[in-house]
Amino acid sequence: MTKWLKFGAVPLLSVSLLAACGGSDGENGGSSEGVESETTSETIGSGEIELVFWEFGNTGYDKLIEEYVEENPDISINLQNSDMNDMHDNLFTSISADTGAPDIALVEEAQIERYRTAEDSFNNLYDLGAGDVQEDFLDWVWHNGENADGDFVFGLPTDIGPTVMFYRTDVFEEAGFDSSPEAVSELIPTWDAYEEVALQIYEETGKLMTDAGELIYNARRDQASEQYFNTDEELIMDDHPEIREAYDYTADFFDQDLAGDIPLWTPEWFAGMDDGSYATMLAPAWMQGVIKDNSPEEGIWSITTMPEGAGNWGGSFLTIPSETEHAEEAYDFISWLTAPEQQLKSFQDYGLFPSTPAVYEMPEFIDYEDPYFGGIPTAQVFSEAAQQVIPVYKGRNYYAVDDVMKEAIDNVSAGDDRDEEWEASLDTIDRILAR
Amino acid sequence: MQSDPRNRPKGNREKRRTALSAYFFVSPFFLLFLIFGLFPMLFSFYLAFFRWDGLGEMTYVGLANFEFIFNDPVFYSSILNTFIIGLLGTLPQIVFAILIAFALNSALIKFRNTFRTIIFLPYITSVVAVAIIFGVVFNNQPFGFVNYILSLFEVDPIRWNAEYWPVKIAIATMVFWRWVGYNTIIFLAGMQSIPKELYEAAKIDGATISQQIRLVTLPMLKPITLFVVFTATIGSLQLFTEPLIFLGRNLREEGITMVAYLWRDAFVYNSFGTASAAAIALFFIIIVLTVINLLITSRLGRSKKVG
Repeated sequence: MTKWLKFGAVPLLSVSLLAACGGSDGENGGSSEGVESETTSETIGSGEIELVFWEFGNTGYDKLIEEYVEENPDISINLQNSDMNDMHDNLFTSISADTGAPDIALVEEAQIERYRTAEDSFNNLYDLGAGDVQEDFLDWVWHNGENADGDFVFGLPTDIGPTVMFYRTDVFEEAGFDSSPEAVSELIPTWDAYEEVALQIYEETGKLMTDAGELIYNARRDQASEQYFNTDEELIMDDHPEIREAYDYTADFFDQDLAGDIPLWTPEWFAGMDDGSYATMLAPAWMQGVIKDNSPEEGIWSITTMPEGAGNWGGSFLTIPSETEHAEEAYDFISWLTAPEQQLKSFQDYGLFPSTPAVYEMPEFIDYEDPYFGGIPTAQVFSEAAQQVIPVYKGRNYYAVDDVMKEAIDNVSAGDDRDEEWEASLDTIDRILAR
Repeated sequence: MQSDPRNRPKGNREKRRTALSAYFFVSPFFLLFLIFGLFPMLFSFYLAFFRWDGLGEMTYVGLANFEFIFNDPVFYSSILNTFIIGLLGTLPQIVFAILIAFALNSALIKFRNTFRTIIFLPYITSVVAVAIIFGVVFNNQPFGFVNYILSLFEVDPIRWNAEYWPVKIAIATMVFWRWVGYNTIIFLAGMQSIPKELYEAAKIDGATISQQIRLVTLPMLKPITLFVVFTATIGSLQLFTEPLIFLGRNLREEGITMVAYLWRDAFVYNSFGTASAAAIALFFIIIVLTVINLLITSRLGRSKKVG
């Protein structure tokens, strides 16, 4: 009887875990499969002009908005939060139908590609004065929010996702390594070294280097100078080696049993962060909130540089759909929200990494030491990574292609032949692009 | 009743007014249907001949969208999946529903009303919740619920959301679990309309329970069974939420259904033209199935009169 009770408890526990994690996984690029999140809505302030603001994930913007409406009593802001995919689908539908769009919408970096053909549906922020603040932002992020000609800017960048290597100090020590960030950074300067260390950790402790092949693939993909498409929207995967290298490198890890095959954002994946079954996690700045939520003990996880430079995964833009009647008020608000002072607060409270380099010079930022990550100055690690990022053109079919690659990696992790999977994926991608 | 003043013959004018007010009262349905039913349907037919990403320009491409989907192996997989999952999900369901309904209908079971409520509960559960729970039950990991049970019989863990048959079995199980109670209640209602005397007569003749089911219950339930089969057919053709939540937005080829296919074309690939073409193909598939259903019904109806 007790045995049967245990069976019942496993799914129940996983479900409650899933529910607990639902809130944090939507932020930037996290595909929250299987999690249906509700839309929450609250109006802050009691001003005459109400701005409707659609956002997703855990931004903590409600706190900042309270500050803003205190200084601007004629404005009130109706903040509506929903699941990332739902929010973008709703925005897409309302823009396509020319009705129902909000005054301000948070758009994820890769999702912005979907709206590129819809310049008419957004306010050109250059017309509202965005040229004046352009200098404040990292160059490459700014250009991601522009059209191809560079005379139309869709949104102001809110945050970015420079990638670093999170690692477990306990597993590294168990394997006989010095676990300080400097030592680990020196130990793993290249991807070859990463693989060697993975082998050693596996021999010494029996633990995996990483839980999901997807993270290795993402890390290498995001370091590539070009990814799936060139700026003419032509697929370049076939004659451009970097993606294939990322794919093969990931497959090597599976061949040697150095990576688990647990998909991201599943309950097991969240649980794995806490129980130390894997040593590293190649992830962007915003992942620190997810790690903290799922592995509450301090001083276990630490942060260091990723082998061979950094990439960028995620980040968002604040856009103003042209349907709004209050474009100027909306612009005033979003330019305030993305100003360095506010970005510093978003970083301190929610780990959103600033897109304005001015913050990187601020003493509060440089001196910020996170006790959770062993009291190291995490901000410096991230800002170093942020400045190494090479801008990449993603293209409008980025997500569709990336999903196909994720499926291929998943199949390879289950033992399918990597070359066959690669060919099959290219066929699938061709069919998607022919639509 | 001739003397009733309300029924006296009316003048032409009054007749017209009555007719007008009648149309007025039924108009809300037709107006709503025009806006939310007919217009989208016709627009979908129109869209099928265009290439459109939902935001930019529409370009006329003739039959290219149809050519595309008819050359897409995934489209055929989606049709096949829909039928396989439909059969796996509904056939056992109907058998079980009849058996459960028979048990609930018999005088042997205590707390019958409680059981009826319990058996109906899955139907009112949100599909999303069902899909999430089953996502945990059919987990790929060795410690997933079903995989763990299988491991007791020394079966290797199964990748429930990626392999050909497991995906279909998992989704069909969700369908089974959610609808079996609904159909049980329908069958139960049908069984209660069967005269008790028939069972008494059967018992007196020495019929066993299985003979009672086979020779009394089933033949008397024929119209109910037809109704259940039709609703189940329609339900399986519309299967969408379960695969979507179970497989995620990418919807692997092993588990994609027809509606999921056209949804993915429209909202993941932003290709509203091919999605509309798929919708039209689905429309014709449904017409064919309806005709087959009608033929079977009329045949069964006739045999009933003869027999």
